[in-house]
Amino acid sequence: MLTLAGISKSFPGVRALSGVDLKVRPGEIHGLLGENGAGKSTLIKVIAGAYAPDEGEMRFADAPARWSSPRDAKRHGVHVVYQEFALFPQLSVAENIFVGQERRNRLGLVDHARTRRDARELLERLGVLLDVDAAVSSLSIADQQMVEIARAMVHNVKLLVLDEPTAVIAGREVALLFDRLRRLRESGVSVLFISHRLDEVFAICDRVTVLKDGRLVGTHEIADVTRERLISMMVGRELGDLFPARSAEPRSGETVLRTEGVAVGERVRDISIELKAGEIVALAGMVGAGRSELALGLFGGVPILRGAIHLNGQRFTSMTPARAIELGMGLVTEDRKSQGLAMLLDIAANITGPALSEVARRGLVDRRLENEIAAREIGRYRIACRGPATKVATMSGGNQQKVIVARWARICKSVLILDEPTRGIDVGAKAEIYRIMRELAASGVAILMISSELTEVIGMADRIIVMRAGRVTGELAGREATEESIMRLATSERAA
Amino acid sequence: MTAAVSARMEMPWRLRKHTGLAGVLILIAAVSLVGGLVSDRFITLNNFLNVFEQTTDLALVSIGQTLTILSGGIDLSVGSLISLTSCLTSGLINNNPDRIIPVVIGVLALGMLVGFVNAGLVVALRVHPLIVTLGMGAVLQGVTLLYALGPVGRVPRGFNFLAYGRVYGLPLGATIAVLLCLLIALALRNLPLGRQVYALGDDTNSARLVGLRRTRILMLVYGCSGFCCAATGLYLAARFGVGQPYTGVNYTLASITPVVLGGTLLSGGKGGVIGTLLGAFLIALLNNLLNFMDVSKHYQLVAQAVIIILAVSVYVERRRTV
Repeated sequence: MLTLAGISKSFPGVRALSGVDLKVRPGEIHGLLGENGAGKSTLIKVIAGAYAPDEGEMRFADAPARWSSPRDAKRHGVHVVYQEFALFPQLSVAENIFVGQERRNRLGLVDHARTRRDARELLERLGVLLDVDAAVSSLSIADQQMVEIARAMVHNVKLLVLDEPTAVIAGREVALLFDRLRRLRESGVSVLFISHRLDEVFAICDRVTVLKDGRLVGTHEIADVTRERLISMMVGRELGDLFPARSAEPRSGETVLRTEGVAVGERVRDISIELKAGEIVALAGMVGAGRSELALGLFGGVPILRGAIHLNGQRFTSMTPARAIELGMGLVTEDRKSQGLAMLLDIAANITGPALSEVARRGLVDRRLENEIAAREIGRYRIACRGPATKVATMSGGNQQKVIVARWARICKSVLILDEPTRGIDVGAKAEIYRIMRELAASGVAILMISSELTEVIGMADRIIVMRAGRVTGELAGREATEESIMRLATSERAA
Repeated sequence: MTAAVSARMEMPWRLRKHTGLAGVLILIAAVSLVGGLVSDRFITLNNFLNVFEQTTDLALVSIGQTLTILSGGIDLSVGSLISLTSCLTSGLINNNPDRIIPVVIGVLALGMLVGFVNAGLVVALRVHPLIVTLGMGAVLQGVTLLYALGPVGRVPRGFNFLAYGRVYGLPLGATIAVLLCLLIALALRNLPLGRQVYALGDDTNSARLVGLRRTRILMLVYGCSGFCCAATGLYLAARFGVGQPYTGVNYTLASITPVVLGGTLLSGGKGGVIGTLLGAFLIALLNNLLNFMDVSKHYQLVAQAVIIILAVSVYVERRRTV
């Protein structure tokens, strides 16, 4: 159905895909596995026509395929369901399914009756019972997903690409989804199923392809591989000298942060963890396990629904970012562009952002003092820039990340939470960030690092807490953990 | 699925489509009720026809504005375009009855053209419509003043019929506005492009991923808005007998009020022109009531503002709970 040969794609500073081959057969469900940053998303976008490959050939349905746009790819029968759906919340189910492909009568006007009838029929073929007149915003996420899939069927889909379809649904819904995918397979549709949950890949896929660092690791019949083999294909790599050496003996300072059955958001439940001064604890797990929600909850960014936080010996049942900062807590968010940095401001303003009173003189910001502080931090963290007045937007991702880490490291005295601190930055900057983390820990700060990169988790953490589906599934000592043992906890069904 | 199930499912849909109108209808009823208490001349056919007539200009411009807001944008050039088209109407006709038809056609075409340029700039420059149309408004006001610094030209007596004429007892201008409104309502509901206006306003990003053609949709929307402005300009020229370079100034912001009162979300994707028409009627009715109560024009503005803010807060509340 789909054949990729030697596909390469580069972005400024990153080689996202190099020489990837992939063959999806007609009527098969093909798994695409890989860690974050392995190139899965880029590959999907090439297949969907959103990116043109720099090199390599693509064939689709026995003809060379060079998509000019996603629209073009769609016309040929390639349909992608992205993780963030392309739905219209206020329009009805039927309208969502046929948007852009409106059912018309002889006059070229929208045929409302036929729209609704056809929508019902498509959903029935998927085995879904939905009110086609309901607004999509009133549906569950799982049903919204079905609307997306039904829409693909309007376009006479030949290859359905699902980007992490199970990241947003759970349990019984996953089983239902799989059931429906099997129906599609029987009708001759090929499915490319992107996931990093191994259970699911074994449950549904006929074959599986593993990507790592933008390269093809291999394609196998699902019957020919074991779980362990797939894990090592996904993560197996040498631990270089990236990580600074651990201090000799495990630190055990005072407990600075303790949570007591904390619940946050829709999924995170029953979290009781402890952080001690001077230790680095990694929060491992898959995307969607609820780690970022937990971090936001601890910092007061979202309300704590149940339970309490003990910070520096005080007990809190609610938290606000202002109070958290006051108590010496810091949070480096996952998405530095939208939730961390003020991209259009300069380094100095970004560093002093949460502690403006410190640089204020008679209520006005003292730019000279601000610049002095910034200059000191720039030197300390080796931030490559022209000076404190450099605009953050013009800097590389790695240096931006150093700015935001510098901001928090400076004012954060008890707990620093870093959410995916090294995502999307180069190796050199990674090593710097690791060094900073170790220094901070050595000075007595407790560090909670959320990371989906297992090498980083193992290389840095004194302790590893693993989460899955909003709950803690286990804890490992940093020295004893292996990628396999972490993956097992992160992907296993929750222990009852 | 059995017939019984599908029939049951259809009922709420029919109702739901109209819930957006409930608010404005209730307000109209409330104002009428108060009016009836204030004066026994308020709830009379004659008074309602007067109010209907006074709705014309605001209804015309707001109907076009509804489309831009539904698509997730806004048109802030409407005021200047109304000024320009009203000046051109009286200036070009200049009391010559033979020129009425070509000038009317030309002015309507110009309005549409301005709308197309607005849409083209939004797409080509990737600038938010707010900015593009704000700039366009300034340009048009400048052009208007280059054309005329004060009242310009005259329209023949016959042309006044557009503003003051009655056909079968109905005010002509207002009736035209209603017909235009119904036409656009049908287009929004039944043209594929009309449905896509809602989709675009609902979620721009999804619209892109689904491959909707944004340029076409915006051309339709801003073209219609320009057309409606030109119609308003024609109407005002007929009403005052002469075009004035600042005649449209207040319409830019005023045109948004009926849209919101009529249940259209300012963020786009939900609402419709029928609600806007009722919203415009509500405002005219309210002013009428305040006239009956001998409230000065200045307080009328304040009263309008209070009602609008209250109405919007009610809509917001409802949206949160649904």
